[in-house]
Amino acid sequence: MSIKRNFFAGVDVGSLAAKSVILEDGEIFATGLVPSGVDSVESGLKALNLALETGGLIQEDLTYIVGTGYGRVSAPYANKAVTEITCHAKGANYLHPSVRTIIDMGGQDCKAIRIDQDGAVVDFAMNDKCAAGTGRFLEVMAGVFKVKLEDLGALALSATELVPMSSTCTVFAESETISLVARGEKPANILNGIHHAIANRISGLFARVGIASDVFFSGGVAKNTGMKTAIEEALKVTIVKPEIDPQLIGALGAAVLARSFSKKEGLWA
Amino acid sequence: MAKREQYEYPSELREEFEATDDIHFRDGSRATAADIWHFMTEVAPKKYPFAYTQKKYAGGRLSRDIHLPSAIKHNYLLLTMNDRINKSRENGAPVIFVQGGQSVDPYYAAGGIALRPASVGIWARGRHEGLGLNEEVVRSHKQKEKANHAISFEVCQSAGYEHIQEGDLPVDMVAPYTCLRCSDISYGVEAHRHGPNKAVKLMNIDYPMRHQADKPWAVTYFAQNLRRLTSEIAKRAGREVTDEDLSKEIKLHNEGRRLAIDTAELWWSADVPPTNSVDRRALYQMGGMEVHGDPSASLTVLRESNAYIRDRVKRGIKADGVIDKPIRLFVCGSCVSPNAFRIEEAGAIIVGQDNHWSDISTLVKEEGDPYQNLAHAILSYPYEQSVEGRAAWTVEQLKKSRADGVLFLYKWGCNTQSAIARMLCDTVKREIAIPTMIIEDHEGGSEQSEQMLNRVNAFIEMLG
Repeated sequence: MSIKRNFFAGVDVGSLAAKSVILEDGEIFATGLVPSGVDSVESGLKALNLALETGGLIQEDLTYIVGTGYGRVSAPYANKAVTEITCHAKGANYLHPSVRTIIDMGGQDCKAIRIDQDGAVVDFAMNDKCAAGTGRFLEVMAGVFKVKLEDLGALALSATELVPMSSTCTVFAESETISLVARGEKPANILNGIHHAIANRISGLFARVGIASDVFFSGGVAKNTGMKTAIEEALKVTIVKPEIDPQLIGALGAAVLARSFSKKEGLWA
Repeated sequence: MAKREQYEYPSELREEFEATDDIHFRDGSRATAADIWHFMTEVAPKKYPFAYTQKKYAGGRLSRDIHLPSAIKHNYLLLTMNDRINKSRENGAPVIFVQGGQSVDPYYAAGGIALRPASVGIWARGRHEGLGLNEEVVRSHKQKEKANHAISFEVCQSAGYEHIQEGDLPVDMVAPYTCLRCSDISYGVEAHRHGPNKAVKLMNIDYPMRHQADKPWAVTYFAQNLRRLTSEIAKRAGREVTDEDLSKEIKLHNEGRRLAIDTAELWWSADVPPTNSVDRRALYQMGGMEVHGDPSASLTVLRESNAYIRDRVKRGIKADGVIDKPIRLFVCGSCVSPNAFRIEEAGAIIVGQDNHWSDISTLVKEEGDPYQNLAHAILSYPYEQSVEGRAAWTVEQLKKSRADGVLFLYKWGCNTQSAIARMLCDTVKREIAIPTMIIEDHEGGSEQSEQMLNRVNAFIEMLG
């Protein structure tokens, strides 16, 4: 007689990427990451199907699915929807139980989250209707310098000096950057200035919620080494090295919640 | 089967509803429950389709707690606002534009009708028939944008001034108490002063600042302002106004205030929520006697509702569609109401709002000079005191309502509330250690964006 295996999935549909994580009991079993399209249901399903294919599973094998991110409001495949703030907290806690502060920089927003030892949110703050410190902002900057988004951070780290930026508004910063290039400033130095300006700006969020060690950096922007360094300098902290792709943390937290919700609902013992 | 686009009151409810009380109006007329049922099921769905929307994101949907008569009657009074205000004006009652969060006793004592900015908006909305939700939102945004241009600044309650300036709402006077709660009213008053339409008289009921109620000169000064006000309104209404008129009016409004306080205390004491967030808000607001443009009508609905709430609380009856033990949110700040439907879907309920509650919960002394008494009460509004004073009162309301968390919301451009929010929330955290969240609203109307709802949902999850 075969023992029934329990799989739990988290699907995080953000503005730039859709992510999924499947847990088998308490272990990460498979993951999926695809760019988000206009149709958030389709994006979520694509990410989920990618993880299912990787793990050799079909959707019916999943005991429970939690949807998160902005796409969670239209996720017919999910048993439950939870905000990404709660999910990032659970995801970071799952990987690193010592984490008490999370910086989450995603495609369209940026959050400072304080959590307790159980991964429950104690306080949080978000950027207000401004793209500064988001993936979308960096995407625009990568466009200005005609470099790949993933190369932006390394380029900033190669700077020999820091060019001050007066604006963190995406539109104004783009104009300012073009003026600085015209003035003869080196792209790496301008990018260094941009990364530090963003880091200083988001440090305001931490003034509201406070910082406690350990500090974790999640979301797509966490892959940007230049931003990580700038944040470490601005907040005077050392960021924990993530064990998995930091862009998957929301989906991971959703999968962790899927596991606990389904247990509470008596779907497995 | 295609989902119905418009909400319909269940026809099987008709008999039960028609057995409820009539609404008595100030002019002596009345609407029977049968009249109300007919209007809300036959007339209004065609006249005001936007109100019957089923859209998930619409914050202004009709309450689904259909066994609570006030849920239907309150909406009846809002949807008949245009017809009723027009009729009252034809009968000689001047309409006066006032400020949010102020009492309206003196305006009615002198024969006028006082409308706050939100009510002026409801009146304006009623003049456009047949609009669906999106069409109504576009109409209202257009008006707001014109007002922003006229005022040269993106302020909050500006559309009313624009309606007055354009002459498409026959307001007779602009005469707010210039309380401290709102910076936008000052912008609006200035814009009106400098606007091309000089026909509508502007009268500021000047509100002295800083520990006002403790200073006899301030009370006397404000009482003189109130006398100027009632005299001007009475002149326009073609009648005299006596101290006795104001005393009677204060007694009537005090009854509303007392009923609202009693209803709130009942609601807060209940083991399970006796109403949903939308109906609770309407019931508390009725105590301000302004919301329907007819204090007598508000009072009849409030009297009946109070008895229903008492009964529900006594028998442990929970409102339809509300969960047993929701997270209890208290909302602070002016001019933004979160989408209560989405809040309830997320497992929470709104137990109170400080905004209008400040004036509603301030009773006026009934013996002695009515002008002095009224002035003293108005200058005692907790919302208008120093931040420390307001915070102390807010903490008291949070304890009474057994709130789990505070949402402080204000409009972008609101200098007053934006300056107060952080200090007040810090005091709340320090005094009673409950979580707070501040959100600046950049949007108009009740269809809030996913970004705002996301923050509120995350806050509810954090409290849960």
